[in-house]
Amino acid sequence: MKKALSLLLTLALVCAAIVLPVSAEEAKTPSLAIVVAGSFGDRSFYDSAKEGGEQLESEFGTKVLYIECGEDASRYQRALNDAAKECDIVAAVGWQFYDALDTVPDNNKDTKFVFIDNAMDEMPDNLMCVTYAQNEGSFLAGYIGAKLSANASIGAVGGEDADTINDFLIGYEAGAKYANPDAKVSRQYANTYEDPAKGKECALALYTSGADVVFAVAGKTGEGVFEAAKEYGKGVLAIGVDGDQKYINPDLIICSMVKKVGKSLYDIVSDPDSYYKGGEVWNANMATGYIDVVYGTEDMPQQASDELKAEVEELKAKIISGEIVVPSAFE
Amino acid sequence: MDLGAIFNLSTLMNTINTATIVVLAGLGCLMTDQAGMMCIGIDGMMTAGAFAAVIGSWLCSSWIMGLVFALAVGLLLGGFYGLFVIRYKSDEFIIGVALNIFAVAITTFLLRSIPGQSGSFHPATGAVVKLPSFSIAGSNVSIMVPLSWLLVALTWLLVYRTPLGFWLHASGEHPESLRSVGRSPERMKYLGSLACGLFCGLSGAYLSLGYLSTFTENMSASQGYVAVACVIFGRSNPVYVFLAALLFGFIDAAGQRMQGIVDPTLTATFPYIGTILMMVILAVRYTAMKKKRA
Repeated sequence: MKKALSLLLTLALVCAAIVLPVSAEEAKTPSLAIVVAGSFGDRSFYDSAKEGGEQLESEFGTKVLYIECGEDASRYQRALNDAAKECDIVAAVGWQFYDALDTVPDNNKDTKFVFIDNAMDEMPDNLMCVTYAQNEGSFLAGYIGAKLSANASIGAVGGEDADTINDFLIGYEAGAKYANPDAKVSRQYANTYEDPAKGKECALALYTSGADVVFAVAGKTGEGVFEAAKEYGKGVLAIGVDGDQKYINPDLIICSMVKKVGKSLYDIVSDPDSYYKGGEVWNANMATGYIDVVYGTEDMPQQASDELKAEVEELKAKIISGEIVVPSAFE
Repeated sequence: MDLGAIFNLSTLMNTINTATIVVLAGLGCLMTDQAGMMCIGIDGMMTAGAFAAVIGSWLCSSWIMGLVFALAVGLLLGGFYGLFVIRYKSDEFIIGVALNIFAVAITTFLLRSIPGQSGSFHPATGAVVKLPSFSIAGSNVSIMVPLSWLLVALTWLLVYRTPLGFWLHASGEHPESLRSVGRSPERMKYLGSLACGLFCGLSGAYLSLGYLSTFTENMSASQGYVAVACVIFGRSNPVYVFLAALLFGFIDAAGQRMQGIVDPTLTATFPYIGTILMMVILAVRYTAMKKKRA
């Protein structure tokens, strides 16, 4: 009896394994794996990538896998290899994947890889890199910050002392100096993207040293910056990053420098023929609309006046036309 | 070099505020160390406490319920630790490590399944009520900070001035002599591990409801290990543990403010360099003491 039952169950299992994949409906796009170096829920960089994936799922029925590495470097290579077996396109989201991507694309020739937020010198044909001109957007953020600062002193909290983060900070500083050549810009590195407590201490150190606008460039650590602004009071403000973060605290967050990671993923997967260029670096910049400064929705209190916003629009045009060349950490 | 930028009031407040996390967890750890079964699972207990505090505060819209939830979870995990170490004679380090890994995993899982959020806790409806706080010299200080100082004093009294403290110590050092006077060493050890859970629950509640107002995955950020180090340096004396925690907090806060002068990746290592230095000092002193005795 027992034997018959177990045989029956095994049979059912085998049948299910054969039948199930056939019943899955045909998607219109290649399947995508989004592998992030940290974890989702930062309401910033990684969540922006996730939004792109969700949009693909709802519009095209794309099969999307989400894999988190939780800042554990030992998982990077394994996660990419696993993802490559399941999906047509694997997006490695986070500059930290640099070393892992040295070997993984060569071992998985049939899978296309997209490296988000960093560039490599030499790439195989099945790897493309997407870099973002965060220095251009940060330039605008610095300009706005310096204009709204009462004492021409602003600050920024960076995730760590790395090129991608410094690219933000250099642009931010240049923008502040453009608005006011005497502006003082200080920076603090939290050395983590996942610890809001550390971000709060960094921001408090900046606020107490006199800065009254702080730009958070540190993923989830940035949540601590907004906490610090709320607790410190005295009219200090903050600037969000990567996603439109104003909704987190509309009274304190002036604007956000957005890096449309989700949109670039969406474009690559929904139209690979025109967007996927293996072996090349795609610089998603302000001119192509992947970098911008946004002010939340209309019903939120606005710290930036309409005049200031108009000035920012002018600056944007100048950056796009090449009249202003924003310095970068990658030069 | 501008010393005023490094040693000022904000550095002091930073030190006090961040050290409180370590102080509370350290008190918990020393209660188990006194009973001869040092718990390194405090990091996990803190994470679980932080999660429970936020959920309690959100569900009941009251910080008191947040505290109650955190203490309850602390008790539960403390009891779990005691059960395995005392009753089933498991290795205390293995159980401690298991607790740390388990707590991160279970809180991440529950965060994603109950409120259905990943990364950090941001409820769509209702709000997380923070612990009461007051303002000193322009800085916000949670009531948990002075409370932690009071607890340091009380723990010191308990450990060094009450029979209970002696029994606790004896349960680790000489369980047989304790048994000979009709006291159960096992019961004392349970008391130690339950107290450990309670203190870690408080530490977690302070982290998520006092210091911040949210829970994030892996929230303790290894502060529990710093607390274990402080207990070793402070030789399980509550006052010394407190001072060690303040020293660690200060090294961290001052290091952060030295980023303008020293490379920022280097300042991040200051607490660890501090640990090694203190380790060396302690080792030198121990050998000196042993030589004297000999």
